[in-house]
Order: sequence, then C-alpha cells, then structure tokens
Amino acid sequence: MNNNKSKHALLSVSALALIGAMLTPAVSWATDGETVIQEKCLSCHTRTGNPDAPYSRISEQRKTPEGWQMTLHRMQLRNGLVLSSEETQAVIRYLSDEQGLAPSETAPFRYVLEQKPNIVEDVDPAYAEMCSRCHSNARFGLQRRTEGEWKELVNTHMAIHPTTELHALARDRRWYDIALNETAPKLAMDYAFNDAAWKKWQTMARPALQGSWSVSGFMPGKGDYSAILTAVKIADDKYSVTMIGHYSDGSELRGNGTANVFSGYEWRAGLMLDGVSVRQVLAASEDGSSLTGRMYQSAHDEIGGDLNAVSGNAIVGLSPSALKQGETSRVTISGAYLKGSVNLGAGVKVLKVLSRDADRIVVEAKASASAAVGMRDVSVGGTKAKALLAVYDSVATIQVSPPQSLARIGGNGGKIPKVQSTYRALAFSAGADGKPGTDDDMRLGYMPASWSLKPQNEVAEEDRDLEFAGTIDSNGIFTPGDTGLNPQRKMSTNNVGMLKVVASVKDGNNTIEGESDLLVAVPSYIKRAIQ
Amino acid sequence: MKFTHKIKAAALIGAVSTVALMSGCSMNPSASLNGMKGGGHEYLLTVSRPNQLHVIDTETNEVVRSCDVPGIFGQGTVEPSPDGRIAYVGTNKWEDVAGFDITNCDMVFFTKQSDNNVTVKSFVSLAVSRDGKELYTIQNPTRKLSDRYEVMQPQLAVYDTSAGLDAKPVRTFPVDRQITKIMAMDTGEVILGGNDLQAINPQNGEIRILSKLQNWDRAGDKWVQPDAFAMHSLGEHVDEFIMPYFTIKWNGDPGDMEKAEFWWGMSRVDLKTGEVEQTETVPFEFIVFNFITDPADSNILYGAFNTLSKHDIREKKTLAVHNMDHTYYNLNMTHDRTIYVGGTSSDISIHDPETLEKIGSIQLPGDMSTSAMRIAYLK
Ligand code: HEC
Ligand code: HEC
Repeated sequence: MNNNKSKHALLSVSALALIGAMLTPAVSWATDGETVIQEKCLSCHTRTGNPDAPYSRISEQRKTPEGWQMTLHRMQLRNGLVLSSEETQAVIRYLSDEQGLAPSETAPFRYVLEQKPNIVEDVDPAYAEMCSRCHSNARFGLQRRTEGEWKELVNTHMAIHPTTELHALARDRRWYDIALNETAPKLAMDYAFNDAAWKKWQTMARPALQGSWSVSGFMPGKGDYSAILTAVKIADDKYSVTMIGHYSDGSELRGNGTANVFSGYEWRAGLMLDGVSVRQVLAASEDGSSLTGRMYQSAHDEIGGDLNAVSGNAIVGLSPSALKQGETSRVTISGAYLKGSVNLGAGVKVLKVLSRDADRIVVEAKASASAAVGMRDVSVGGTKAKALLAVYDSVATIQVSPPQSLARIGGNGGKIPKVQSTYRALAFSAGADGKPGTDDDMRLGYMPASWSLKPQNEVAEEDRDLEFAGTIDSNGIFTPGDTGLNPQRKMSTNNVGMLKVVASVKDGNNTIEGESDLLVAVPSYIKRAIQ
Repeated sequence: MKFTHKIKAAALIGAVSTVALMSGCSMNPSASLNGMKGGGHEYLLTVSRPNQLHVIDTETNEVVRSCDVPGIFGQGTVEPSPDGRIAYVGTNKWEDVAGFDITNCDMVFFTKQSDNNVTVKSFVSLAVSRDGKELYTIQNPTRKLSDRYEVMQPQLAVYDTSAGLDAKPVRTFPVDRQITKIMAMDTGEVILGGNDLQAINPQNGEIRILSKLQNWDRAGDKWVQPDAFAMHSLGEHVDEFIMPYFTIKWNGDPGDMEKAEFWWGMSRVDLKTGEVEQTETVPFEFIVFNFITDPADSNILYGAFNTLSKHDIREKKTLAVHNMDHTYYNLNMTHDRTIYVGGTSSDISIHDPETLEKIGSIQLPGDMSTSAMRIAYLK
C-alpha cells in the first residue's frame, strides 16, 4: 500500500433527501437556468463585467450536480435565497452543463456520488487532517475552483463552523493560516478550475443514451440479476426508463421511472423496482457504449450493488462466473436478445439450455475434469465476451467484500433508522504457482457463502459485543442492534461493537473462510448528498 | 467518607456561631444574601439545558436556585466574580454574556457581542479581573458580506462589570487565533490559553509568552507538538490555571510507535505570581478530559472522563482509577477536598478523594453537555 497516503474511512451515510429533490419529475427544462441566475442570484452576487466569469462567486467553480445541489441548498438555508423546486433544478442543470466536471475528473471519486458505503479513501497527507477529518476527500475532489475560490471556501468554513480551528487535529497547528496559505494553493493545483479535460469534454459530441441496454447487476438479498433497460427520450437529457429481467433464482424483475442526464453523461434515475423505490447513479462512457455505476434502495442507500449496462445486444455478465473442474452447474448468461448457440470455451460443455429469455440464457454446463485452469471467452451466436468464465481447480482464498465496514444502530422507536451493511464472498484460486496471495491468483468472482460473526478483539470479547451489536442473515446482510442505552451492557452503553464478519465457502469437501472488520457505531444525524 | 462529613459538621457549627455572634449587628448578612451563606461558603455553579444556571450548595448538595439564562444554550461557560456574588454565563451559541446575582437570579450584566453582519463568537473565553471590576472575553468575529464571508482578527474585549444590561467593550486589543480558556491573575494580566500560553495586559494590550506549547523548543524528532485541549477553566480552588496537554516522546525514529512513550503534561500557572510550571505529569493510559490539583498536595492531580483517576505527578504514577457510570467531561473540588464530577449528562457525581468511591449525586433538570462547573466563594 502506498505509504505517503493515509487511509481514511468514510464513516457516514448519505443524503437521499437532496438527491430526491433533484430527481422529482420536473415538468420540462422550460425554465432556463441562466435566466434564473440573473433574476434570483444577483441581489447578492454581482456582475463582474468579465465575460469569462460573469457572476461573482458563481462563475469560477465547477462541480457535479450533487455539488451544485449542496451549494443551492445552503443558499436557501443560510443565505436567504428563495427558489421554487423547478427553478432549483433549472439552475442545477444549467450549472452542471456549463460548469460541470468531465468524466475523467469524476472517475476517481464516483463512489461518493453512488452513495457506496464502506469506502476507505487514499488521502494525500496535505488534506487528511486539514480537510478529510470532517468529510470525504471526494467532496472537494469533485470540485474545481480558482485559488481565490478555494480561499473563499476556507473563509466560509470558518464562518459557518467557527470551531473548525479548535478541533483535535486543528488546535495543534495554525489551522486558518495553513488552510489559506498552503492548502488552498495546493487545491488550486490539484483541482484546478481551468483544466483541459473539461474544455475537451465540452467540445465532444454527447453520448446518445436512447435505446435498449443489456444489464447485469447485484442487489443484496436478491442476488445477481439480468435485465433489459429501455430509455425513451422525453425531453432533452431526460428519459423514461423501463427495466425488465430476472434475478438469478428465476424470479422476475420489473421496474420503471425517469432518468435525468447532467453534463452529458451523469445518469440519475429514480425507479419503482418490484415495489421498492430505487435510484441509479451511473456514468455513460464517453462513446456512449456503456453505463456503469450503482443502483440502491432510496430509503436505505447501503442496500445496493453494482450495475453494468452495455448498449444494445451484448453479453454483460455470468452467474456464477467460475466452474470447478469436473463439476456440473447451472450458469446464467446475462445479455439482451442473445441468439444462437452458447459456447463457454475449451473443456466446458453446455449440457442443456434450460431457458432463454430476452434478458438471459440459462444453461447447464460441465467443466471436464481435465479442462485447463484459466479464463474462457464466452459467446452466444455471434455475440462474444472476453475472459468472462474462470475454470479452476480449487478455491484458495476468500475475501469478504467490503474488507472494512460500518453499520449504525438505530430504530427502537427513534427517528433514525438502522443502517445495515451487506457482504459478498469473493473467491480466488492460487494460480499456476500454487501459492495464494501472489500476483498470478485467479479471480473466480463472487460465491455463495454461509455467514457468521465473531468478536474483533479482546475488548469486543470482554464487552460481549457479539451478543448485543447485531446479527447477520444467510444473504450476508448485517442488521445492527437497537439504538439507546442498554442496561444489560457494561456502563449501560449502547449496542455499538467491533465484530468480524466471517464467510465460509464450500469447495468440494473443503470449507474456505474469509473475514472482514465491522464497526457497529452510533447513529449519524447528518445526511448530505456528498459525504 | 465519614471524615468529610465531620469536617462539614464542624464548618456548619462554625457558621452558626458566626451568625450568633453577629446577631447584635444591625446589618443581617444572611438576609442580604437571601438565605445563602457568606464567609466564603462554597457554591457550585453549572449550566444545563434548556439554558439554566444552577447554584448548588456544596454543604447540602442541593440546588439552591436555578436562573433562566436568555438565548439558546451555548457552551455553558461560567465565571464567578471574586466575591462569589455574580456568575457570568456565556450563552446564545457562544455569542452573549449574561451576569446573574446568584442570591436572587437578578440579571445584572448583559452583552450581545454580535452586531449587524458581524458575528462574534467567544469559545469558552470568559474571565473577570481579580478585583471584579472588569470582564474579559476573546472575540472571534466574522463578517457576512453580500456574497462572501470575511474572517476578522480576534481581539480581547474588556468590559466594565458595572455597565449593566447593554454593555459594550471599553477597550479591545488584537490577539492570536485559537484562544479558548482565559483567566485573570493578580499581576493584572489575563492568561490566554491558545497555541501557547500567553499573558496580555488588559490596559495596553501588551502580550508576553507564559509557556510555549505549539511553538515549544523541543526537537521535533524527539517530541510531538503538544495537543492542548482547553475546554474548561479550572483551578480557582487553589488559585491556579491548569492547561493539560498530550504529547508523544519518540525514543526511536519519529513515528515508531513501538518505542514511543505517550504522556500527559500540563502548564500550570500560579494566579498569584504568574509563575508557570510545565511538565509531563503521568503516562497516558486512558483519556482524561480535565485535571485538577488537590488543595492539600499540589503533586496530586485528579482527572475525569470515563473514569475518575488520581495521579501523583512527582512519582509520575496513577494512584487510583474509578470507573464512572457514564462519561463526564468536567470536575472540581471544594476546600474540604470533596470531588464533584459533572458535564455531559444531567447528574453530578460526588466522590471521596481518598478512595474515589461515589458518595453522592446531584440531579439537574437537563443535560450539562460541555458546561463548566465552577465554584463561587460567596463573601
Ligand atoms: C440572499 C443572498 C444570496 C443569494 C440570493 C444568492 N447567494 Fe450565493 N452566496 C451568498 C453568500 C452570502 C455566499 C457566501 C457564503 C456561502 O458560500 O454560503 C454565497 C456563495 C455562493 C457560491 C460559492 C459557494 C462556495 O461553495 O464557495 C455560489 C456558487 C453561489 N453562492 C451561487 C448562488 C446562486 C447560483 C444563486 C442563485 C440561484 C445564489 N447564490 C443566490 C448569498 C446569496
Ligand atoms: C470542521 C469540519 C470541516 C473541515 C475541517 C473541512 N470541512 Fe469542508 N465542509 C464541512 C461541512 C460541515 C460542510 C457543509 C457546508 C454546508 O452546510 O453546505 C463542508 C462543505 C465543503 C464543501 C462543499 C461546499 C459547496 O457548497 O460546494 C467543500 C468543497 C469542502 N467542504 C471542502 C473542504 C476543504 C478543501 C477543506 C480543507 C481546507 C475542508 N472542507 C475542511 C466541514 C468541514
């Protein structure tokens, strides 16, 4: 691991209310954002007279739609701006399109937009204590400003959080001087307002997202799924969306909703999926051939998983993605309108096609005992996917994903719900050298596991965290304990704890285990669009 | 425990006989104190939510009266006047200061520090001169302009304590950033607890260093800059100002935790002379939020947080540790050495200085949060 970077766990959960506002099905973009800015913002902001940066404080920043949402929220909450929700959306759209981030600029920080829980960031030491002790690196990594604007932001912090310079990791240094004279200039270099990537992106043709998409993904509690996503344009950068498909157990998946696209590639959709409200935060590739990101439950953003979509007819996923030598398994191939015969590569025989649907094909396949260990290309008729199926001899290691995680106690009649955490078991075989943990290990993909918990350390054992902090179910979903003081515990403390999540995966007659750390913490009261 | 009660009983008899002796006088002191006891009788002062100043008699451990403090609960800073009669309370999100006569809750002083578009915060910094005539705060102003904020220079503000309910500073002097707790000394100066310990002359604004912390002269490859968490002013019971800190001593390479030593330390100022003692006190074993000195022996410190602990700083040893029922931020001590542990929740836990055992408790109507717990010696 890189030594100059300090690890920083994102210990909070996110803000749906804000994103929700952004996704309300707006009438149209009839309200023009620039007009709103001129009519509503210039009572406080001024015209600079400079055509390259026409409005004071507004024109020399670039950020994501969520970033603009946070700023406008503060304008309304603290500064007295009054905007209708339609006007708010028009301004977010206008500013995201005119002063947004290029795909390459958001790429390192997409997890925070996707509300992905349990991310440990690699933070530059110059920011770790100065900035990232309160929020993610992504919050400022997803902004571009001039040096003057980074400095103004420092002043805003001092004014609205006046104890900033007195906290631990601030009171041992001249925080304000350092922030103004060292951190802000560095930010202006690392996250520069004038950057070629954005200039280039603005001149490029915007990806066309209309049409049908082959989708594969994962949803905790439901498992892998395949689907066809259809996007029908209803206005500029606005689509009506349907998703129809199957979970890997054969049950149906069905949903519809609306998507807005910002900055030409930022896909934000809200759908009702099998009766549950979900959101999609996806990025279109620059050429418009794929959409990748995460889909999660609106009310519990920790319950979600990766989603991959490829334009048109394509093979997008396999479930499972590995076959053991000599074993027969049921394999689902995800992809839209796949036609023709299924080929799983050398040494793997398709014994029977069990079903064919528009979104998938299910086959019974056998890897021969002598099939060479290694990756196989998969094809259905003329549609091919490279290195999708692994044939392996034995499972060598199991990694529990995520390796570090946080859940939060809640419920118990209180206002703040519990925050669960979800796990998957990722398998590897040892590779040609027969040694696990080396570079030639082969990734076999996620495997079914049985799940259990144990105390993380002696303190957790002595405090009997296992009894109080929560439980894990057969799908790898951890549910934390109730909020509030517990008289059964030492010092009547609440049901927090430090646990290890253990996955046990069967491989023939062997059982392979993997572990990851779980911290069960107190509820978090603050939710924001960008943690 | 019994011993403590005996002392209290003796004090009580003493007080009764004083009243008896003075009963011939035309002036009745107990009447002017509205039933409270003078002669340096000790009253514990603290603030709890929603926003009330509580005056607690340390003899009975009963709340004598609770005064409503105007404004939103702030940080609960309290500063007693030298005659013990007035309690100055920081309120309204660190912005205002209100002074109350503790014998009747009359508000006798008030200042609203913020004005128009300038917001002024005073982070626990509140002190009264040793003659009671002046009140000091450290003001941290920010100005809101139409589309930005301006961060302004912090300053010492000097108030006349007799200025009444619309007090304005009579003098101001620029000071450093990051100053929290302050206290007045017999030298006339005010101790500024910030990056370093400084003393400012409130007549002319001259500042001198008392004890270097952030800028201390120790080699960076041997010691980590101290982290001084100056949240509560403590030490009035022994006429001192105590600034605890945490530091690390590198015995190997800087960053080599295996060989490192973790230390509590303190800069302790004698309020009578301004003399400072800076020393590492005891090895860090658990978190302590505040330390106080034993009035009978300045080598003995007590500390509070999840535990109440007793330390000998000459021997650099922890003598005793008592697990508390919950977390407490703050502690203080009367002259008879009874320990009061408070803050965070709504109860003050009373402890014996020898055994550290709990010997009593005072229940308040609301949480104290980070409020101070000071002692007024009512004259
Ligand atoms: C009533 C006064 C007022 C109005 C109206 C107003 N603003 Fe602001 N704006 C401020 C103030 C004050 C600040 C500086 C403090 C802050 O950032 O909250 C600011 C700062 C900003 C910033 C810089 C924020 C940062 O993170 O550095 C942006 C961008 C901004 N405003 C955009 C807008 C837009 C867009 C509108 C109109 C839709 C608007 N403001 C309307 C008062 C206003
Ligand atoms: C004391 C905790 C704290 C520290 C330290 C801190 N921040 Fe923040 N920051 C916040 C909070 C809280 C907000 C949300 C402000 C609001 O209400 O919109 C915020 C907001 C932001 C925003 C979004 C503002 C907008 O409207 O676009 C950025 C960007 C940011 N911080 C960057 C930084 C940088 C860079 C540093 C280091 C110099 C830093 N922060 C240090 C607490 C902190």
